Amino acid sequence: MRQESRFRPLKIGDILIIIFFLFFIFFLPKKQGEKVIISVDKTINFVYPLNQNKEIIVNGKIGPAKVEIRDGKVRILNSPCPLKICENKGWISKKGDFIICVPNRVIIKIEGRKYDAITE
Amino acid sequence: MQSLNKIAYLSVFTAVSISLFVVESLFPTPIPGVRLGLANIFILLALIFLGLKEAIFIGLLKSIVGSLILARLFTPSFIFSISGTLVSTFIMWIIIKSHLPFSLLGISIVGAETHVITQLFLAVFIFLPGVSFFYIAPIYILSSLITGSLVGALTYLIFSKIKGRYNFCLF
Repeated sequence: MRQESRFRPLKIGDILIIIFFLFFIFFLPKKQGEKVIISVDKTINFVYPLNQNKEIIVNGKIGPAKVEIRDGKVRILNSPCPLKICENKGWISKKGDFIICVPNRVIIKIEGRKYDAITE
Repeated sequence: MQSLNKIAYLSVFTAVSISLFVVESLFPTPIPGVRLGLANIFILLALIFLGLKEAIFIGLLKSIVGSLILARLFTPSFIFSISGTLVSTFIMWIIIKSHLPFSLLGISIVGAETHVITQLFLAVFIFLPGVSFFYIAPIYILSSLITGSLVGALTYLIFSKIKGRYNFCLF
């Protein structure tokens, strides 16, 4: 009677919207980062460009940690913390990615070209 | 008689959506902030049977009373909840009014996605300025796709039960 066809369980628009969001998830732009920000105990210590190979010693709360930047990727090479979670995270390279070492209070974060409120 | 019927449905929808909101907030979830959004069933039903004003009324009351019961009134999670609900209700109403080929499932998915995207924008630009939007978005969009289609299917079931007994309909 009253436009019953509108209430079929599935219509063409539903399938299109599901496909649209699935595409949106898989092809969401994950930008390559530009800068590495290494901070100890919430204060910014170092900003490095991602495209130069480098090894850095960061003096954390419980000891020195070695950070390696190579081929646009960053990792913690070794750290004095007991569980080594930060070492097991491995390489990071995308904007917004981060490695956090809680016992050593070291945070390594990758930023894009633009700085945000925290880094200013 | 018509308005009495309407008041009865409005109060039942409000009561059920508040209780669903409170109960499902108590369950732990694997990703912080992800819930089923069962209260959205009754907001969607209110949009269809009662209209936009009543649906927004249910959404506001759901967020305020639910947060009051859970002791989180005026905290960030309350602001997330109320803004997401308002935006998603309005977008769902626009989709119902426009004659796009969406069934209840699609309307519910769009509602869930706008809800979660509103909250992500709030989170990224106001509450947690430092988190990259594109880094956290895929998890939340995927989970709201799943919960949105579940809620849409449930809404369709309830809708087909109520349809015969209630003769005012927006469509």
